[in-house]
Amino acid sequence: MPPSAKTPSIFSILTPYRKMIVWLIILATFANGLSLFLPKLISIVIDSYIKGVLNLNTLILEFGSLTLGILLFTYLYTVLEIYASEKVGRDIRSQLVTKISKQSYRFIADKNPSKLLTTITSDIDSIKMFVGQAIVSLVSSTVIIIGAVIILLTIDWQLALAVITIIPVIGITFFVILKMVRKLFVQSREVVDWLNKVISESIIGSALIRVLHTENLEEDKFSVANAKARDTGISILKLFSLLIPIITFVSSIGSLIVVTLGGYYVVNGSMSLGSFAAFTNYITILIFPILVIGFISNIIAQASASYGRIYEVLQSPDEKDSGNFSAPLTGEINIKNVTLSYGEKPALKDVSISIKAKTKTAIIGPTAAGKTQLLNVLAGLTSPQSGSVEYDGHKISEYSHTSFYPQIGLVFQDSVLFNTTLRENIAFSTTVTNESLEKAIETAELSDFISTLPEGLDSIVSERGTSLSGGQKQRLMLARALALNPKILFLDDFTARVDAQTEKKILANVVKNYPGLTLISITQKIAPIESYDQIILLMEGEVLAQGTHKELLKISPEYVQIYESQKSTENYELRT
Amino acid sequence: MNLKNQQKIMNYELNSEQNKNKVSAWKAIKSLLPILSGESSILIYASIATILNSAVNLIAPLIIAHVVDTYIVTKQFGGVVTFSFILLGLYVFGLFTSYAQTRLMGGTGQRVLFNLRTKIFNKVQELPTAFFNANKAGDLISRINNDTDKLNQFFSQTLVRFVGSIVIMIGAGIFLLSINLKLGVATLFPAFLLLIITRALSPWVKRANTVSLKSTGGLSAEISESLQNFKVVVAFNRRDFFRKRFEVANDDNYKSAIKAGVASNIFTPIFEFAANLAQLIVLAYGVYLITNGNFTLGLLFGFLAYVANFYNPLRQLANLWSNFQVALAGWDRISAILNMENGMQVLPKNNESGAGIIEFKNVSFSYSEEKKVLSNLNFVLEKGKTYALVGPTCGGKTTTASLMARLYDPTEGIVFLDGKDIRTFFASETTQKIGFILQEPILFSGTVKENILYGNEKYKDFSNEDFEKVLKTAGLDGLLVRFDGGLSAKVTMSDALSLGQKQLIAFMRAVLREPELLILDEATANIDTVTEQLLEEILKKLPKETTRVIIAHRLNTIENADEIFFVNGGGITLAGSMEHAVEMLLHGKRES
Repeated sequence: MPPSAKTPSIFSILTPYRKMIVWLIILATFANGLSLFLPKLISIVIDSYIKGVLNLNTLILEFGSLTLGILLFTYLYTVLEIYASEKVGRDIRSQLVTKISKQSYRFIADKNPSKLLTTITSDIDSIKMFVGQAIVSLVSSTVIIIGAVIILLTIDWQLALAVITIIPVIGITFFVILKMVRKLFVQSREVVDWLNKVISESIIGSALIRVLHTENLEEDKFSVANAKARDTGISILKLFSLLIPIITFVSSIGSLIVVTLGGYYVVNGSMSLGSFAAFTNYITILIFPILVIGFISNIIAQASASYGRIYEVLQSPDEKDSGNFSAPLTGEINIKNVTLSYGEKPALKDVSISIKAKTKTAIIGPTAAGKTQLLNVLAGLTSPQSGSVEYDGHKISEYSHTSFYPQIGLVFQDSVLFNTTLRENIAFSTTVTNESLEKAIETAELSDFISTLPEGLDSIVSERGTSLSGGQKQRLMLARALALNPKILFLDDFTARVDAQTEKKILANVVKNYPGLTLISITQKIAPIESYDQIILLMEGEVLAQGTHKELLKISPEYVQIYESQKSTENYELRT
Repeated sequence: MNLKNQQKIMNYELNSEQNKNKVSAWKAIKSLLPILSGESSILIYASIATILNSAVNLIAPLIIAHVVDTYIVTKQFGGVVTFSFILLGLYVFGLFTSYAQTRLMGGTGQRVLFNLRTKIFNKVQELPTAFFNANKAGDLISRINNDTDKLNQFFSQTLVRFVGSIVIMIGAGIFLLSINLKLGVATLFPAFLLLIITRALSPWVKRANTVSLKSTGGLSAEISESLQNFKVVVAFNRRDFFRKRFEVANDDNYKSAIKAGVASNIFTPIFEFAANLAQLIVLAYGVYLITNGNFTLGLLFGFLAYVANFYNPLRQLANLWSNFQVALAGWDRISAILNMENGMQVLPKNNESGAGIIEFKNVSFSYSEEKKVLSNLNFVLEKGKTYALVGPTCGGKTTTASLMARLYDPTEGIVFLDGKDIRTFFASETTQKIGFILQEPILFSGTVKENILYGNEKYKDFSNEDFEKVLKTAGLDGLLVRFDGGLSAKVTMSDALSLGQKQLIAFMRAVLREPELLILDEATANIDTVTEQLLEEILKKLPKETTRVIIAHRLNTIENADEIFFVNGGGITLAGSMEHAVEMLLHGKRES
């Protein structure tokens, strides 16, 4: 994705802050303008001293007020500069997050969280630096350059034109080097993504790394990414350490032209000595801002590269708008000819299933059969390439999210916990009442566990739920889904981490406390689902057989094979 | 025998008060110096380049003035040409010094950044699992990437100018004092005030920046958590949750960044003010002295020039000083990691001895001060047998297994591996003996093959075909069918692989290492029962002396066990038979 082609200029981010930027420039101009008066004041003081008309009190008064004025304006404009840069940073960050929060789950997975993290943190930092350090210098430098050029032209246009030839030379140098450096800046951002990924994988995988003692391997991985970061940094540095001396040199050539050519004119008699002196003074005034622009071009180039990445996220199309249809769900679901593929091979092939309201359906099948993908499609987390999913005869996309999601409870197989209180983790949706929270906790058999915690429901869950056992996490996930009082409950391998006794209790609780619930359960175990209204056998993305337990035993040899594989266990479980 | 062996529970939380180090600026500078080791010659060259470059910048105007005075005013064009060439030569020289200056210093900055990041990352790798439970991923990323960059900025942009400015200032200061002591002292008075003000303000500036960097770490942690958990955010229609929590962190960051910015920039206007104040003093006091006949007008002009020479670098220093405070704040957060000590050191060989492949003697454990997770466990695992650990969720099974692999050290008692205190083994030795398939399968981005071979040196350079043969010999080839694209299938952090598939990879990874002790912590929970039978066959085919420890809820996975332990409420009991175990599991008293 080449961001350069369509990304607007970095300056476009300032448009909404026009007023603030104008004030910033005004205050900065005042502060710098007042400073210019000081040398003047000193020369006036000395002149008047020589003339013998110096009044020490007026001197202290004038000088003092000027100094205080400078102090005041400098302080005001630096504060405003910080305020502006932080405000722009905060707002763009906010826009980014609002944008991301509207995207589909697939978008986040594809974009990769490490990269998005860099965009929201480091890329925003470059923008802040641009607003905070570059704008005032850029504007004031440009004004000074234009002013100095005009004055030079009025003094002696021939000499001025000769001197001004350095400006296009500098311009071309900038253009060429910044173009080269731009690619490198984009690259350096990508290296930061890479670093983030290595660090975050090494943190998530910390336990495995310690078990396998692969710390050195991780260090090597990091070292490669880090070395790349260093080398990119040095490549950028090489270009900039070239840019700045060249610009200094070219501007010095400007002074040289004045001395030589101007000197010639003076010797010639075509230029007065006074004009010559003025020229040499103004040329120094001209050179300094050119150098400043050289320094801040670094910041601008970096910010432009970052803005390209930010813009790319901001411009990505919103997830197809959710519909505005809202109606209570009965639990009737029709999946028609759904095909879904991630890479070349489809994960789901022409899957059609119909589920009646208030029934229990189980989906069974080997690992990698596409069960979880099917669940994602059912929940509208992934959109299939073809086919449709209808609830009560309406496509998922027709429903508004606010109406649809509170009516379905999803229990994922991997535990997803937030670093906040247990209460907030369970009552994750805003629609949850205290009653439904209590009921969900009781149903998921969590009351005993919560009562052992000194802070009860207000205990904080650590990041990634490291303080909880596998079974507790899974039951928290169930409670979170049940707290919605859902019409339809999706369980993805819920029983995998919960012991048989608890599992039985929980399922009985669900039936008792949530009558009329439509249940769709992905599972490995046949025993608990023998009484279900419908069992769907999924293999390699295709529906191989569907029917009740008894029917499947007759028609599906694959089902029988799974059943046989579990028989020995059943003896024990049936005895209870 | 000291079986009590009480251990302190380490606090690995970076943000806790206990782990904050308070040091003076001077000490901090000293602690920063080792980072620059190996760079000293480059720093010297860079300083020389800086001095030469400043010299060029100072001499050029003098030459121009000379040309004007001696040749242009007297209309001798020949001299103008001669000096033009000299000037040109000087500028060319400046071209090189200026290049060398930026190039050398910038290079140092990049290398320092590289070394620092490597140092922190490697330090983090030295720390035990408990460290990762106590800290957030996003905050660590921020420390490794963002805080180090603050130091880089200081080193690459500030350090040499710092030195240069101070040299020029001292020179100008000496001139001022030697021209006229009284006037000099008076002129330097504002600088003295500045010194006091700077000293007084610096801690505040640093504190504000520490708060701001901490808040940046918090923001990073917030974003990284929400992005990782996006699935639930979508499914529970809580996109607003993500936004709201983010807004809180974003706002906090905004406010603390403004405070830090205002604090850091306080120096610039104050230094500017001091410089102007000094000029006023020179003018007023100077004029007074001239009136009294103690001073001349010429000297006053010179004095004014030197005042500028003294206070201009001082103005630069204001900027540099605030950069320095930011760098120090970053350095504090970095040293919090670097100063972390691993509470799990390798102990010297001792005389304690145990039985079997694993023995627990009076082992107790807790993650925090509050609650004991295991209390006084005593058991022995014999070589070559298969053990099952069963029990309700949160009974302590995973914790028991983690202690066997020394992911944690017991708070009391000793764990013996192969007859010796497990703490006397090097990590590489423990790893070689133990294969531990964790409850949460962990994959790294790469291919399926890379993931199976993660941490496995033996087959590292095998081609796909050769490696498939290895898998076939181990009986693992049947599992590859579950991956579209086989060994070369790509693994990403997203959901393209199911939990069951991830567990298969983790299984292959552990079995291929041929450990003496293989621990499976609910390692096949999400794998279908048909494939699971295949896994059992594979486990049966492992060498006879391999000890297996299986933690599972599914009873069929444990029915082949030689012995079954029932783990509950932090205690462990040997169940006589499978039926006894089932009895306990189904009807036993539970505390979960």
